[in-house]
Amino acid sequence: MTDRFDTGVENAWCPGCGNFAILKAVKKALEALGREPHQIVLVSGIGQAAKLPHYVDVNVFNGLHGRALPAAAAIKMANPGLTVAVTSGDGDIYGEGGNHFLHNIRRNVDIALFVHDNQVYGLTKGQPSPTSDPGWAGSLARSGVTSGPFPPLATALALGCGFVARGTAADIDLTADLMLQAIRFPGFALVDVLQPCVTFNKKNTWQWYGKMVYKIPEGHDPTDRKKAFDLALEWDDRIPVGVLYRVERPHYGELHPALAGPPLHKREPRAETVRGLLEKRTIGVR
Amino acid sequence: MPSEVNIRVTGGAGQGVHTVGTLLFRMAVIAGHHFHLTQDYMSRIRGGRNSQTVRIGTEPVRAGRDTAEILLAVNPDQLPGVLPGVTPGGFAIADTAESFPNLANAPLKELASAAGSPILANVAGTGAIAFAIGFPREHADPLFEEMFSGPFREKNRKAFHLGWEWAKGHLPGEWSTRFVLPPGEFAPRIVMSGNEALALGAIAGGCTFACGYPMTPGTGILSVLADEGPKTGLVFEQAEDEIAALNMAIGAAYTGARSLVATSGGGFALMVEALSLAGMMETPVVIALAMRPGPATGMPTRTEQGELEFALSAGHGEFPRLILSPGSPGEAFDLAQHAMETAERFQVPVIVLTDQLLADTVVDLDPKEIVVRPVRRHIVRGEQVPRTPKGKYLRYALTDSGVSPMAVPGEPGITVVAGSDEHTEDGHLTEDHRARVEMVRKRLRKGASLARETLPPLFTGPPRGDVLLIGFGSTKEAVAEARGILAGEGKSAGTVHLRQVWPFPAQEIAEILPRYRTCLTVENNATGQLARLIRRETGASVSGSILRYDGLPFAPSEIAAEAGRRA
Repeated sequence: MTDRFDTGVENAWCPGCGNFAILKAVKKALEALGREPHQIVLVSGIGQAAKLPHYVDVNVFNGLHGRALPAAAAIKMANPGLTVAVTSGDGDIYGEGGNHFLHNIRRNVDIALFVHDNQVYGLTKGQPSPTSDPGWAGSLARSGVTSGPFPPLATALALGCGFVARGTAADIDLTADLMLQAIRFPGFALVDVLQPCVTFNKKNTWQWYGKMVYKIPEGHDPTDRKKAFDLALEWDDRIPVGVLYRVERPHYGELHPALAGPPLHKREPRAETVRGLLEKRTIGVR
Repeated sequence: MPSEVNIRVTGGAGQGVHTVGTLLFRMAVIAGHHFHLTQDYMSRIRGGRNSQTVRIGTEPVRAGRDTAEILLAVNPDQLPGVLPGVTPGGFAIADTAESFPNLANAPLKELASAAGSPILANVAGTGAIAFAIGFPREHADPLFEEMFSGPFREKNRKAFHLGWEWAKGHLPGEWSTRFVLPPGEFAPRIVMSGNEALALGAIAGGCTFACGYPMTPGTGILSVLADEGPKTGLVFEQAEDEIAALNMAIGAAYTGARSLVATSGGGFALMVEALSLAGMMETPVVIALAMRPGPATGMPTRTEQGELEFALSAGHGEFPRLILSPGSPGEAFDLAQHAMETAERFQVPVIVLTDQLLADTVVDLDPKEIVVRPVRRHIVRGEQVPRTPKGKYLRYALTDSGVSPMAVPGEPGITVVAGSDEHTEDGHLTEDHRARVEMVRKRLRKGASLARETLPPLFTGPPRGDVLLIGFGSTKEAVAEARGILAGEGKSAGTVHLRQVWPFPAQEIAEILPRYRTCLTVENNATGQLARLIRRETGASVSGSILRYDGLPFAPSEIAAEAGRRA
């Protein structure tokens, strides 16, 4: 059933990597979405996670490390008819690309962001990432991380993000459903997906997540932002997965004065309009 | 009667210097004359010393001069600093009790108060100037309708009239006759600054996506795109930083939009990795790089041409690029259109070099000389999209020209895969060394195709001569005027204006250099970057360079004098 999205490109992930599960979830979500491959764009930066779009037969923009969000935002602006999702790692999105994370949530561009959050830089062989636990010892930090962790869900909520969710590579169905909801959500939608890095992160392993993760109960009101903050800050004792918050507000495409209309590649200036702009600057023409 | 007069108004920011300049040039056009306006401002919002210099002539005026025949000092405290800039035989107007031999003491504040408010002193002064240059008082009347609203229309008009009357009754004899211009014949003229011209040219050239982060002197380009762009369907967004700006423009270009960003040296520095991305992904994008003195923050409101070598080499890795360098607002309008199309035609980043001088220079233009070119797209759609036997589209198909047919996402039945890693024809990442060589050669072939469309430099002068002045970008008009001065002194001079610096027109330059005894580059930088580029690309050295790097533009007379000394 997910075969139709296979590209046949040789996979470069470690056996046992959480990315395989996330890939399955992405394909499942896209299958359920029901759109054609040419109507979908997956955007990523650089890292192991960021290779995912090459394994899905849709339009792909695999840009620079940390710079997936600016590209994705602009792709959506240039053609709002496309479904645009970013799928990249925690270092790429929260570290190198931190400023773009903050400001694209503010813009509320109608894109989905799936972060493969394994709390480590895998491709460069094991440095801490912004979401690494304090005290965790990695490459370049052999005596343990001293900085506090970057809290992506709480940060997104603080910025007014309309859809905030956490998934896990251990539950493909849950994560696929969150991804589908995120894609369908009108506005910026974040799904932070917990995954292990079997090669470099010996703390946040499959087993560790198995003990810590619990599903947000049915009774949680996703329009309750204060409760969502509480859930976002739970980590040390247990980690909630599911939809923390979901409230719609006007998104970038609805607010921007010039976006409505054909996609940008179909727009061309009318010569009379251009001449009008020149006439406006002509002394002696009224 | 003189055929031109140079008028300067100085004051603090917030004292209405800009208004005086606008009134003067609009009156000039109404009177059937031509003008060239330059602006000189500090990096602040109020106070300091700002000036505008309006050079009015009976023939088109394309460059500025250093001294002014008439000076209006709205802030009289600044007189000691600005009086030396008055031409011998010229005069200044200021409201002060101090006396100087070339100062006409005018009670501007009193006249302004009589008109309604002392802040109108600048307009009262403008009235006095108008009298001195022989402009009929009524020419200004329609301007007050256009430029002001509500009660200020009448107050400004009155202040202007009172200033004019004062000059008629009190301006010493020679000063009320020496600078009177002969009457002209009105014809409609377009008035544009270099920044406006570049932005409007981009709009005319089909730009549909623009973004940027404000940075002087590039911000004016963004303002015009943001304000006027929506009329042609352009989408503008202010980016959170310059890194975002160029990455956004590339994302939009991948999606088929003609994209532009505008910035200055420091912002361009942040864009450099993304420039490399455009080179690897082969996305069209135009970067307007409005230069100012560096390094680092430098002098934010002054002019320089210090980023030539930076623009040539920016971006890690090797990839083709186009670099254009317009020399006037008219040329900026035309080259911006050329940039938008050529970027898409060859799928390369295009850098348009401008600077504070060109950005803020305003001139009048003959509407017939401003050509709006038809927009020609270079995107493949539908039947034109080449597909493999299995129905796949190869974004980076190897071709003889090096240019792969470019489809955009959304095209039914295919997917467009673009990546920043080295890739195979289908866009997917590869570490295969043979594929790497194929792609490098493809990009270089593309560069060769681009080089075959190089805009030749503009040459003026006799086939052989004493001194050849070579420049790029905003030195064009000052150099042209310098040539006229040298010719008037009996020296045979030629000029070369490079409106494209990369790919470099090596053949044309190599051919012309030997025909002149002394070849000098004229550049607003300290190290002679153009001279080095000429040597690098042709093997030939120029005799030397005329350099100015104090943050201010060349005066034609200074170029001519220096060239005369070295020839």
